[in-house]
Amino acid sequence: MQYQTESWGCSYMPSSRGALGGDPLEHIERLASENAVVIFSISSCCMCHAVKRLFCGMGVNPTVYELDEDPKGKDMEKALMRLLGTSPAVPVVFIGGKLVGSMDRVMASHINGTLVPLLKEAGALWL
Amino acid sequence: GRPAATLEMFPSWPMRFQQTPRGSSKSGGESISTDSGSALNTISSGKAEASQSQLEQPESPISNINHIKPSASNQQQSVEMANDASRTGPSSSQQNQNHQSAAALTDAKPSQEKRKGPGSTSDRQLDAKTLRRLAQNREAARKSRLRKKAYVQQLETSRIKLNQLEQELQRARSQGLFLGGCGVAAGNISSGAAIFDMEYARWLEDDQRHISELRSGLNQHYSDGDLRIIVDAYISHYDEIFRLKGVAAKSDVFHLITGMWTTSAERCFLWMGGFRPSELIKMLISQLDPLTEQQVMGIYSLQQSTQQAEEALSQGLEQLQQSLIETIAGGPVDDGMQQMVVALGKLENLEGFVRQADNLRQQTLHQLRRILTVRQAARCFLVIGEYYGRLRALSSLWASRPRETMISEDNSCQTATDLQMVQHSQNHFSNF
Repeated sequence: MQYQTESWGCSYMPSSRGALGGDPLEHIERLASENAVVIFSISSCCMCHAVKRLFCGMGVNPTVYELDEDPKGKDMEKALMRLLGTSPAVPVVFIGGKLVGSMDRVMASHINGTLVPLLKEAGALWL
Repeated sequence: GRPAATLEMFPSWPMRFQQTPRGSSKSGGESISTDSGSALNTISSGKAEASQSQLEQPESPISNINHIKPSASNQQQSVEMANDASRTGPSSSQQNQNHQSAAALTDAKPSQEKRKGPGSTSDRQLDAKTLRRLAQNREAARKSRLRKKAYVQQLETSRIKLNQLEQELQRARSQGLFLGGCGVAAGNISSGAAIFDMEYARWLEDDQRHISELRSGLNQHYSDGDLRIIVDAYISHYDEIFRLKGVAAKSDVFHLITGMWTTSAERCFLWMGGFRPSELIKMLISQLDPLTEQQVMGIYSLQQSTQQAEEALSQGLEQLQQSLIETIAGGPVDDGMQQMVVALGKLENLEGFVRQADNLRQQTLHQLRRILTVRQAARCFLVIGEYYGRLRALSSLWASRPRETMISEDNSCQTATDLQMVQHSQNHFSNF
């Protein structure tokens, strides 16, 4: 199944499908480790749009998984909710395979100056 | 309303010659006159001309004017002249005759000079100075009448518009377009908003206290340790308002996002329900102490990251708006309710954006605290507190400034008005 490549003003790589079965959380973590910046999103979610714009505005190309366009999406969404402990489940950001969190954690880390070093370390940002 | 009630509010007609004075009424913020003689017209007609005819009453206000402080600056000049004239003029018994003859002299529109009595008759030899005064008087009176007419027309139009709006509202209500939670009684705000407004008012009082503490801490050269306590308390103080806003956002996000909880100047520059962090940084940059290079870099970095975050949130909100528009624009008529339900669901996302915006504001303040030394932070927060205090004071002054239609263009009189207005708002400046 092909994902539609939507333009966010920056290009992002559609994900490649991993194993069909398995624990959704493991699936998430595997997907997260495959790219420097991974965002789990829902295509109609406006806050997800905001977080994508944030990274694109910084010159980062995130890998985006739209859970509403994934057959396993529902399970993944539930797993993310358990992981985060809050709802909504999306957007969720992983950098360098490690969980950063939802929008508020992402913004907090950008403001306190820890986001950029994290991105550089993961190879998502140069300069 | 009855025209009479309207005219009573018109401040530039300080008539005390009516038999049954109705008490004073002041125009917005104009505090020149504390006298009950201002705006005591009890005429029944709404027309300026008709009101003038009432001024032709035999009882001359001249004898009263000596005791009245002028209620509007455009009256000052003429009243001063009246005082001068009455002091040098004949007894009041002659004033009646003077009224009639003076009326014949003018273009049938009664002017101030009639009420000045003695100095305005054709019987006397008038020197150039008096003549000039009389002419100015007439001119001032004429302008005054025109302004009054314009004002009354404005009021009447507003009244009609208000009626129309009320009818529209009634119609919409009866069509059931106002669902559950937002169907509060006309004019009332929601309970969540009312509660927040009260909490915010208390927060503002606390803010003043914190600011005073910061100021005295700096002026009296407190130790770093003592300053740190005050600075950290100020951060907690801001943490508190963000927490309260979070609660309020759950019950009435519109109240927050439209800025109804804040003053007009702040509302004008509102971003997503509060101040714009990058604007605050921009304001601070010129105000902060000499900074180390590292601090400068930190501040500029903070400015950049806040700008990026604001941009991202703004774009997210824009998409929400777009999505909402697509939901409610057009569509099949029989699907109306479903359409509304979907739209309501989308509106719920607003809360998230206001919360993220407040989160951004909170993080910005915390980061400032991290970048700066204790003393610098104290100065920084003092600047912030004073800045928003001035913005709030500005809003009050703006609301109470003299309006074009009420006051003459006479500069000398306007100065008096400005001074009075500043005194009136003294409490806003008590900290500066």
